[in-house]
Amino acid sequence: MGPGMTFSEPETLDEVCSLLSKDPEARCLAGGASLVAMMNAGLLAPTQLISLRKIPDLGAITSMPDGSVKIGAMARHNDVAAFSGFLGAQRIISAAACRIGHPAIRNMGTIGGSICHADPSADYPTAITAADAVVSILGSEGARQVAARDFFVDWLETTLEQGEIAVSVTIPPDPSNASVHYEKFTRADGDFATVSVAACLGMSDGVVQTFRVVVGGVAEKPVRSPEDEAVFIGRPLKDSDIVEFSAALEALCNPIDDMRGSADYRLKLMPRLISRALKRAQADQLVSDSGETA
Amino acid sequence: MTQEFSAVGLSSARRDSSEKAGGAAKFADDYSVPGMLYGAILGSPIASGRIKSIDLTEAKTVPGVVSILTADDLPDRRVGSFIKDEVTLARGYVRFVGEPVAAVAAETKEAADLAAQLIIVDFEDLPSVCSLDEALAEDAPLVHPGQDDYVRTSETPTNGNIFWSASILEGNPDAVWDSCDVIVEDTYETPGQYHAYMEPCSALAEPDLAGRITVRSTAQSIFYIQGRISDELDIPMSNIRCVAPKIGGGFGGKNGVSVQPIAVALARASGRPVKITLSRSQDMEMLRSRHPTRIRMRTGAKKDGTLVAREAELWFDAGAYTDESPAVLSFGMLCSRGPYNCPNISVKGHAVYTNKLKAGSFRGFGNPQATFASESQLDALAVKLNMDPIELRRKNAMKAGDHWLGGQTVDSCAMTQCLDALDERLKEEVSALPPAEEGWQRGVGVSGLSHISGLMGTSAFVNLRADGTVALQTGVVDIGQGSDTVLPQICAETLRLPLESIAYAAQDTDSSPYNWKTAASRITYTAGRAVMQATVEMRERILRDAADMLECSKDDLELDIGGTVRVVGADRKVSFREIAARAFNRVGGPIVGQHAFAFDGPRFDPKRAAMSNFAFDNLGVYVFGAVGVVVDVDTVTGKTIVQKVWSAHDIGRAINPQSVEGQVQGAVVQGVGYALLEELVWENGRLTNPSFMDYKIPDGMDAPSEITVMLIEEAPEATGPFGAKGIGEAPIVGVAPAIANAVFNATGARLTRIPMTSERVLNGILSL
Ligand SMILES: Cc1cc2nc3c(=O)[nH]c(=O)nc-3n(C[C@H](O)[C@H](O)[C@H](O)COP(=O)(O)OP(=O)(O)OC[C@H]3O[C@@H](n4cnc5c(N)ncnc54)[C@H](O)[C@@H]3O)c2cc1C
Repeated sequence: MGPGMTFSEPETLDEVCSLLSKDPEARCLAGGASLVAMMNAGLLAPTQLISLRKIPDLGAITSMPDGSVKIGAMARHNDVAAFSGFLGAQRIISAAACRIGHPAIRNMGTIGGSICHADPSADYPTAITAADAVVSILGSEGARQVAARDFFVDWLETTLEQGEIAVSVTIPPDPSNASVHYEKFTRADGDFATVSVAACLGMSDGVVQTFRVVVGGVAEKPVRSPEDEAVFIGRPLKDSDIVEFSAALEALCNPIDDMRGSADYRLKLMPRLISRALKRAQADQLVSDSGETA
Repeated sequence: MTQEFSAVGLSSARRDSSEKAGGAAKFADDYSVPGMLYGAILGSPIASGRIKSIDLTEAKTVPGVVSILTADDLPDRRVGSFIKDEVTLARGYVRFVGEPVAAVAAETKEAADLAAQLIIVDFEDLPSVCSLDEALAEDAPLVHPGQDDYVRTSETPTNGNIFWSASILEGNPDAVWDSCDVIVEDTYETPGQYHAYMEPCSALAEPDLAGRITVRSTAQSIFYIQGRISDELDIPMSNIRCVAPKIGGGFGGKNGVSVQPIAVALARASGRPVKITLSRSQDMEMLRSRHPTRIRMRTGAKKDGTLVAREAELWFDAGAYTDESPAVLSFGMLCSRGPYNCPNISVKGHAVYTNKLKAGSFRGFGNPQATFASESQLDALAVKLNMDPIELRRKNAMKAGDHWLGGQTVDSCAMTQCLDALDERLKEEVSALPPAEEGWQRGVGVSGLSHISGLMGTSAFVNLRADGTVALQTGVVDIGQGSDTVLPQICAETLRLPLESIAYAAQDTDSSPYNWKTAASRITYTAGRAVMQATVEMRERILRDAADMLECSKDDLELDIGGTVRVVGADRKVSFREIAARAFNRVGGPIVGQHAFAFDGPRFDPKRAAMSNFAFDNLGVYVFGAVGVVVDVDTVTGKTIVQKVWSAHDIGRAINPQSVEGQVQGAVVQGVGYALLEELVWENGRLTNPSFMDYKIPDGMDAPSEITVMLIEEAPEATGPFGAKGIGEAPIVGVAPAIANAVFNATGARLTRIPMTSERVLNGILSL
C-alpha cells in the first residue's frame, strides 16, 4: 500500500459512485487479481481502494423471464463457468470463463473486474462481444446501458467515465440455438491468450442462421465485423467464405509484438484459429441437429 | 544371493519432508532478529555507462534510513575465480541493467526501497553490446576495455570481447572428411534460461560485539560464500561464520555469491543485523542465467553409422562478468562428443563478454547446450543413413574402458544398457498410447546423455554416541536435492544401522568439515565417498574394540543390522552401546572417524588429446543415460506438447530410489521448459521478461503427463559409495534434443534453435 492510501467497504452502489466521482485516483476493488498485481508491480498507486465485496447481490447470476441471463459484476469466473442456465449462443460466456487463468484466479476474479480492466488478451471481452451482451453502468449522474461492442475503447480503457461502475452484464437469449466454440491459444497453461476466437454458429436446414466471430489479442480491443458476418447468413458455410472473412478481419487488426508472440505470428494464427473454431462449432451443430431429428 | 540392506536402496522419506510440508522449515527470509534493518539495492538502469557522480542527499532524508553505501565505502578490490573482474558495487562503470550500484539499510523495507529509488546517479551513456553478434562484430565496443590488466588464473588469449578461448584436438578431422560417407553440418542456438528456484536470493548478516559476523543465506556452499565475503570485503575468514538455512532450490543459481557481501557491508556500516531479500524481478535482473550459446557443428560417419569425425566451435555469451564461464565453457566443450566414440575431433570454444547479466552455472553446466547440438546432429545423421536412431547411438556408444574426450578412462559405463532399456520400452509403449487429437501430429525422439559426478574436495566427521547411535557432520548444503537424507543413509548402511540412528548436523562454517559446493552432481558420489570412508574408519575402531571385548580376531566379526557386532557363526555378540561405554570411559576414548579427499580420478591424457586453456583438469566419474519422448504437434498453431517421457539412467546404484526418481522428473520438466518455453529476452540492453507473467516455466498442466524413470544399476562405480554415481544434472541434458528430434519426426521440420516456441515450430512447418 502506498503511503496514505485508504480502504473502504461501502454497502450501497450509490456510495461507491459518490466516492469514485470525488477522487480520480480512487479505484474500486473487485477480485483484486489484476488491480493488486498492478499495484505490486508499481504500475498503479491508487489513493483509495473501494471494495465492492459488501454490496448485496452484486455477484448474482439470474435467468430472466425473457430468456436473457443477467450476470452481476461481482460474479466470480468459476461461478459463471459452472452456471447451467446459458442456452445456445449464451454458452460462449461459460466456455470462455472456464478457460481463464488457473483455478485460483477463477475463484478470485470477477466478470466486472475483467471487463473494466479491459485487457484485449483477456477472455471475457471477446466472449461478451460475441454474445451481443449489454453492460449496465451506474454513475453519480444515473444509469446507462452500453453494448459490449461499444464498451471497449482502447488498451485497458473502457467507456466508463469517472464515478461510473459496471453493475451487470446481460446476455441476450438466442432463439437460433447456436453452437459455440471458444478457441484460446496460450504459450503455457494459465496464461492470457496470444490469440483467442469466440465463435457462435447457428445453422438450420444446411444454412447459417447465426454467425458471430470475435477475435481477441490482435488489437487494442476485441475485433468484430458485423458487415462481414452478415455475408454468411442464409447460405451454407463455405471454406472460401471463411478465408475471405478472415482476410477482412485482418484489416481491422493492430497486433503487437510481445512475449506471447510476435504480431506476425498473431496474424498467422488468426485465420487458422477461426477455421478451427468454426469447424468445431459446426460439428456440434451437426450433433445437435441429428439429436433433434432422431 | 542378495545382501540385506539396513538403509541403502530404501526409499526413505526425506528427513525434512514433514517440516517442509507443514510450513515449519525456515528459509533465509524467514529469519528475523531484534534490531534488524532491511536492505535494498539500487540496480543500474542502463546497460553500459560511466558513473559521473552519485548524489545521496535526497535518499538520506527518508525517515528510517541508517546507512547508504557505494563503491567508495568498500575496499577497492576486484575478485573472481578465473578472472578478477568483479566488484561488490559498481566502481566507475556499470556493465548491465540491474548491476548493483548502491545499497541502503533502513528500519523498514519500504524506507529502504524508497531511499534506493531516490539515489541520483549521473551516468555518461556508453555504447553496449547485448548479443553475441554485437559483441563479436568488428570494432564492437568493449565491455571491459581494461581486461588485459585483470588478474587471471591462466594466461589465455583474449580478442576483443572474447575473454577466454580454449581448444581440444584428438586425431585429425581435417584429414578424414573425405573418407566419410555422410556429413551433417548446422548451427545451433540456445537461450538464456532463468534458474526459477522457488526461493529468490536472500541473506541475513548479523554482526556481534566481538567483531564477527554471522551470515544466513541462500547458497549452495557455506564455505564458498565465506571465502567470497572475505575476498570482497577484506575480512579474515575467522571473523565470518556462514550457516545454512533451508534452501528453496538452486539449480546452480545459488552456486556463486548473490547479496551476501552487500548485506555484510551494510551490517558492518550500521552495526546492526541487515536482511536483504530480492524480489523476483530483481533476482532475474541482477543475478545469473544459463549461458546463451551458438554452436557450429559438423559430423561425419561411415555408411554403417560408425562416427569418423566431428568439428565444433562454441560461443558462450557470458554476460558482463566472467563468473564461472571458463569452467562452463570448458565443460561444454568436453561434452561436445557426448557418450560416443569418435576418433577424430576438434572443438574450439570462446567465452564472450556482453552487457547483460552474468551467465553462470546452471544444471548441466554447458552440457545441455553441447548436447542439443550433438544429439540433433546424430538424429540428422540417422535420417540421412536411413538408420534407426537408437541403433546409430548403440553402434557408437562408449563402454567401460573407453576414453572420454580428453583421454580419461571411463571405468563404469552402462550406456548400451540404457539404450537397450529405452528401446524396449519405446517399442512396447509408444504404439499403445491413445492417438493424437485431430489436427495434431505425433512424433518420437530420442537422445543419449552423460555427465560427471566426481569433482573437488570434501570431508566428513562421524562419532559414536554413548547409546550406540551416530552423529554425522559434513559441509554439504541440501538445496532440496536430498543430501540431508542420502548422506545419513550411506553412513547408516556402512554400520548396518537404520537411518533413524544417524543424527545429521546442519551446516556451519564454525563446526562443519569443509565441502566445496552442492554442484556438479557431485554430492552423492564425492561427499558420499567421504562419509563412507569416515564411517569405515569408525567401523574399524568399533570392530577392533569388539574383538578385544569378545576376545577374538577382528576378522571373525560381522555386523548385524541394528548396531551389534557378532562372532561369525556363534552366539557371542556385543552392542555398539556397550562398545561406546567402554571406549568413552575406560579404553581408547571416544570412537570417531574422519575422511577428507579431493577428487582423484584419471586425468586428461596428453598423449591422446591436445588441449589448451581448459579451466580444470580434475573431474570425472561419468554417468550415462538415454531419454525418449513422444510429442504431439498442433499443425494449426505449432504448439508442441510432450505427452510422455522415458528416462534411463546409469546410476551405479540408487541410494534412495524415490529421491533419484524425483531428481529425474524435476530435471525432465526443467528440460521441457528449456526446450519449448523458457528464454530470457533482452531489448536495448534491458531484460524484457523479468517476471513469471512474461517468463513462463511449465506448470503441472504443461509438464508431460507421465515420466517413466528407469534406473540401470548394472555398472556399479567401484570407487562410489555402495557403487553410486550422481544424478542431479544428467536427466536435463538430453531433453531438448530428444524433443527437437521428435518435432522433426512429427513434422519434418528440424529446429536448430531452442526454445521451440509454437511460433518457431509453425514457421518451421510452413517453410517446409
Ligand atoms: C496469474 C493470473 C492469470 C490470469 N489469467 C487470465 C486469463 O487467462 N484470462 C483472463 O481473461 N484473465 C486472466 N487474469 C485476470 C483475471 O481474470 C482478473 O480476475 C480480471 O482481469 C480482473 O478481475 P478482478 O475481479 O480481479 O478485478 P480487480 O483486479 O479487482 O479490478 C480490475 C480493474 O477493474 C476495476 N473494476 C473492478 N470491478 C469494477 C466494476 N464493477 N466497475 C468498474 N470498475 C471495476 C478496478 O478498479 C481495476 O481497475 C489473470 C490474472 C492473474 C493474476
